[in-house]
Amino acid sequence: MPKAKRSASNESAEQLERASAPVRSFWSGTITFGLVSIPVDLVSAVRPRQTAMKLIDKAGHALGRQYHCSKEGKKLSNDELVRGYETDDGKMIEITDDEFESVAPEMSGDIELRNFVPLEQIPPLYFNKPYFLAPAGRSAKAYHLLAATMERTGRVGIGSFVMRGHEYLVAIVSDNGVLRADTLRYADEIRQPDAIGLPKKAKGAAKKVTEFVKEIDGLMQDKLDISEMRDEEAAALQKLVEEKQKDKDAVIHQTNLESEDEDGASGGAKIIDLMAVLRKSLSKNAVVTNAQGGPPISLDERRAQKHGKKAATRKAPKKKTSSARSTSRKKAKRA
Amino acid sequence: MAARAIWKGIIELGKHEVPVKMYSAIEDRTVHFHLLHKKDHAPVEQHIVRKDTGKDVEKPEMRKAFAITKDTAVILEPEDLEKLVPPESREINLCRFVAPDVLGDQWFERPYYLGPDGDDADYFALAEALERKKVIGVARWVMRKKRYVGALSALNGYLVLSTLRRADQVLSFSGIEPAKTAAPSANELKLGEQLVASIEADFDPELWQNEYRKRLCKMIEAKARGEKLEPVRAKKKAPQQSLAESLRASIAAAKEKKVA
Repeated sequence: MPKAKRSASNESAEQLERASAPVRSFWSGTITFGLVSIPVDLVSAVRPRQTAMKLIDKAGHALGRQYHCSKEGKKLSNDELVRGYETDDGKMIEITDDEFESVAPEMSGDIELRNFVPLEQIPPLYFNKPYFLAPAGRSAKAYHLLAATMERTGRVGIGSFVMRGHEYLVAIVSDNGVLRADTLRYADEIRQPDAIGLPKKAKGAAKKVTEFVKEIDGLMQDKLDISEMRDEEAAALQKLVEEKQKDKDAVIHQTNLESEDEDGASGGAKIIDLMAVLRKSLSKNAVVTNAQGGPPISLDERRAQKHGKKAATRKAPKKKTSSARSTSRKKAKRA
Repeated sequence: MAARAIWKGIIELGKHEVPVKMYSAIEDRTVHFHLLHKKDHAPVEQHIVRKDTGKDVEKPEMRKAFAITKDTAVILEPEDLEKLVPPESREINLCRFVAPDVLGDQWFERPYYLGPDGDDADYFALAEALERKKVIGVARWVMRKKRYVGALSALNGYLVLSTLRRADQVLSFSGIEPAKTAAPSANELKLGEQLVASIEADFDPELWQNEYRKRLCKMIEAKARGEKLEPVRAKKKAPQQSLAESLRASIAAAKEKKVA
């Protein structure tokens, strides 16, 4: 039998460091349903993969991105950049910040739940990105009430909200007593099989269906095997890095390394400790783990362990906040 | 207009093989902009430069590094990275099948439709088997030099393969016990359920539109024609009451709405 839990080994310090790694607080606002309102803070419920690379040159100098004018060939600073929209006939129209502002959604700060739907009615392909919601201010009671009610009814709240100038469709779900806001794709962002050109739905041969069902039965399990969900690329990379670390020539010291992957460096939001926030606002006994789990570890134990040093070397790299340059690059993509 | 397949693979299930083509299930509706030079509206070019000197660096001079601390990183040479590339394969290996609720929504990353590659009958038979058993298959495969973990499911008779997040990305909580003062009373729980029931509905994604995107497109079109649009917005604010009062008032309001 495959086991989802792994024993507390010498890896646990690393796991613990990873599990309780600081995450970014993105947004504060208020869930409303009917006349009930629940102030909440929103933090990411998933963390980036531990595979992001930095850009350097052969000699180890930090590299960055620099925009040049394609006509004049000279370097451009951020305030010399504007956004342009290319029309179908190839004309370039400049869209000013004021014009973007004029259509921007109002910074309302509300997630208004318009209805409650059965969770199983939402096909998985709608789910985009999950965030945890922590009760803010004196909202703990209403927060617990919403979580308990959704768990009892098997329903999730659907609403929309505005975050960083974008409008998101969202499902508010209760997960073990913690509320999560899972952003959803809009219907027009999901393709239909006929639009892709898939053949008309047909019936499979009954004999073949029975054979497949038999194979499925043979592989049926009650739960996930977390080892199947492991990030093997990150593990292989980690091993390689540890090896290369012994080679003095391969180790460089630079403070302003930039992410190779532009999307890897996500906006300058403040970093907070997810567990600390939820413990304070939700429950003293709250424990956060990644799916790789290990034994639940409390904040105090983690602190104690940190002070006890020995495992203080962090193997997983922390994402650095992006430079102004890649932020302005991001601005080029809207809606 | 038929979409182009992004990859071809073979689903391996026991001794059976089902060849499939893979298509993105997502339509990119993002409105894309170009970065331009303000002065002459010429598109910008992105150069990779050395941060200390500002000098351009050409591709052969570039390397990747993996950061181990804030200010320490390890250079990885191309031949090092080459060693990490998994062996090429067309196989989509099904490791296990689980009930749909075993895999929480937070695992799902990016969905793809699978279409038959040659044999339609086997493809639809597999979709039918998944639908009959109401299960999700956990799959692993290598695509374009990268390893993936995914969930194979059937949706309206077609196969969908969604990539999944990795185990150390997905965070979860346990040990949540509301403080005594924050635990809802039986009465509040009952009112809460009534309120949920008063605005319960079926999931209908067509009801929701990205209004911002619409306004943005309208504004751009108007500007292309040389016009200007007046922004239209509206907002209201909910009053603050006690939790039980709010619940009762909300249920009453929802009932009224249903009658009207």
